[in-house]
Amino acid sequence: MKFFDLLRLIFGNLNRRKGRVALTAIGVVIGTAAVVILVSLAIGLQMNANEQLYGIGDLTQIQVSPTYGEGPVVVGPGGGGGGGGGAPPQQKLLTNLALEEIRAIPGVEWVVPREFLMAGGMVKYQRLEGWANIIGVDVDDLALLGLEATQGSTALGRGVVVMGPMIANNFYDPRQRPGQEPPPPPDLYDQQIQMIVSKWDAQGNETRKNISLRVSGVLKEARGESDWTIYMPLDQVKALNEWAMNRRINYNKDGYSMAVVKVANVDQVLDVADQITQLGYQAYTPQSFVQGINNFYVILQVIFGGVGAIALLVAAIGIANTMAMSILERTREIGLMKAVGATNRDVLAIFLGEASGIGFLGGLGGVLIGWLAGQAINVIAIVYLAGQANQQGGPPPSVAVYTPLWLPVFALVFSTLIGMISGLYPALRAATMIPVMALKYE
Amino acid sequence: MTKSLVRVAGLKKYYQMGGTVVRALDGIDLEIKPGTFTVVMGPSGSGKSTLLYLLGGLDRGTSGEIWVDGQSLNDMDENSLALFRRRSMGFVFQSFNLIPSMTALQNVAFPMQFAGVTSARREMQARNLLAQVGLEDRAEHRPTELSGGQQQRVAIARALVNDPDLILADEPTGNLDTASGAAIMQLLSDLHLAGKTVLVVSHDPRMTRFATDKIFLLDGRVVSEEEYQSASLGTMDL
Repeated sequence: MKFFDLLRLIFGNLNRRKGRVALTAIGVVIGTAAVVILVSLAIGLQMNANEQLYGIGDLTQIQVSPTYGEGPVVVGPGGGGGGGGGAPPQQKLLTNLALEEIRAIPGVEWVVPREFLMAGGMVKYQRLEGWANIIGVDVDDLALLGLEATQGSTALGRGVVVMGPMIANNFYDPRQRPGQEPPPPPDLYDQQIQMIVSKWDAQGNETRKNISLRVSGVLKEARGESDWTIYMPLDQVKALNEWAMNRRINYNKDGYSMAVVKVANVDQVLDVADQITQLGYQAYTPQSFVQGINNFYVILQVIFGGVGAIALLVAAIGIANTMAMSILERTREIGLMKAVGATNRDVLAIFLGEASGIGFLGGLGGVLIGWLAGQAINVIAIVYLAGQANQQGGPPPSVAVYTPLWLPVFALVFSTLIGMISGLYPALRAATMIPVMALKYE
Repeated sequence: MTKSLVRVAGLKKYYQMGGTVVRALDGIDLEIKPGTFTVVMGPSGSGKSTLLYLLGGLDRGTSGEIWVDGQSLNDMDENSLALFRRRSMGFVFQSFNLIPSMTALQNVAFPMQFAGVTSARREMQARNLLAQVGLEDRAEHRPTELSGGQQQRVAIARALVNDPDLILADEPTGNLDTASGAAIMQLLSDLHLAGKTVLVVSHDPRMTRFATDKIFLLDGRVVSEEEYQSASLGTMDL
């Protein structure tokens, strides 16, 4: 039998029992709509949660820190001397050699060392004082780290700094009198700021150093560490640290305090982080945290989907019932089909097709209703959640219910499959009827 | 001597009905030659319908053999039997067995779907056959809009659709009034004259008028005409 003829016959048969098909399909509509709405809701919640995560930053970056071994510090070239796997924690310093080792891991795009300024972080602008996280990075341009500027550029150079957008909010007036309005956050772009670094000698006497710097760029808000950071070239921070510690720093020997590793593909991040850990360094990636949250939401989706699936199960029993009734009524027709040369497979295909057709039609309705209901919930929920966010601070959510394209496609295929499975028993019974018995059936 | 189209040897069909065994066919031997018009006569319960269904491959005997065109039906599996019915058999039933939701044309064309004939050819052939049974103007009518005689003519057109070797008719006039019944008999006879092999099961003695061969059944056995006449004399109103 040709597929198109089969299809036409199936829909002709469904069409001649419109009322019953519609009633049976309503069960499927409800089940499918429930699956679509609930799973969309779980996905929407997940997207919201990811949006609200603060300080996640770039998921393709791994922060690597050295492992400082316990007991007497033994410093050797290359750091720690390689050590076998499974040994107790050994010292592994982030020397230049170590950076090469990490660069060699497949999937790593680049490795950039960075260093905190260890001599305080007070900054002054006119009569205002503030505080910042001061970091030296070994790049000419912060764009390489995935940072963008809202004002100026991300290029680093001598005598200039690039700062995060939140720094300005940290400035206060030290001579502010009680009751006086705090000054508004200053616009620091292209302004001279003073950085004050200090050190203490053994007697506790403080030595201060004032450095004048120009703000050459302000970064875009990234909701991460960079928002609160002033970036400088690495060698400048190194010089200040050497001044503060009164000794030379040799990166080949002492290592950097941190390195940022960029991985080409987000899927490889956890793998690369594992390999770095196995080399003996400390690797931190927000990806592992995000993974945990995502796992939670996947479980939520499965549970929500399961609730909808119960409705579909009930609908499936309805389809099986309708098909069983239909086959009883059409026993003589089945006998006739066999008499005129329909094979058991033809009969099976016709009745399985009718059951699948009910599932498909119900699925179509369910997907449509589920999607529409999702959109309606979105409109209502976003208004409500935005109100909540205004009270509690934080950004308003952009989405409450999200239906990805795969979901309606999956729901449609699934409901069709449910129909087919429900029709299996009745269709098999129809297919295996003895023709003469079917023809004589009253 | 021409080769027989159908040969039956030692065919038995027993049913279990309640606690008793019903011997619907109890050892049948017969032959049907191509191009004949065979009428199987017998009172109800004589097993004549059972014989027709067994010959058509719609059921299997308890024992014995049936060969159609040299092929043993016992050797065929379900699928081969379906193909055999599709290619070699055309059935006409007492109760017509038309599909009520389909028009006359669709009913006639229906079996060709299983044979994978294209829809254009299906329609053309169905129209030709409807014309042959004199119903070309009724093509778009549903069975409920047709008289009994017309419905049976549609059913005959349907039986012819795959150009079968043998047309099997089970009491084709049983549900019809005398005039329509006569017309159907005439139509079957015309098919025979056109070269078809026809086997009709009936208890209507008028059928024998067109027959080239007659088979008489009593209690599941083939009997001679004399035996049949004397046995049925008591029950028949003459």
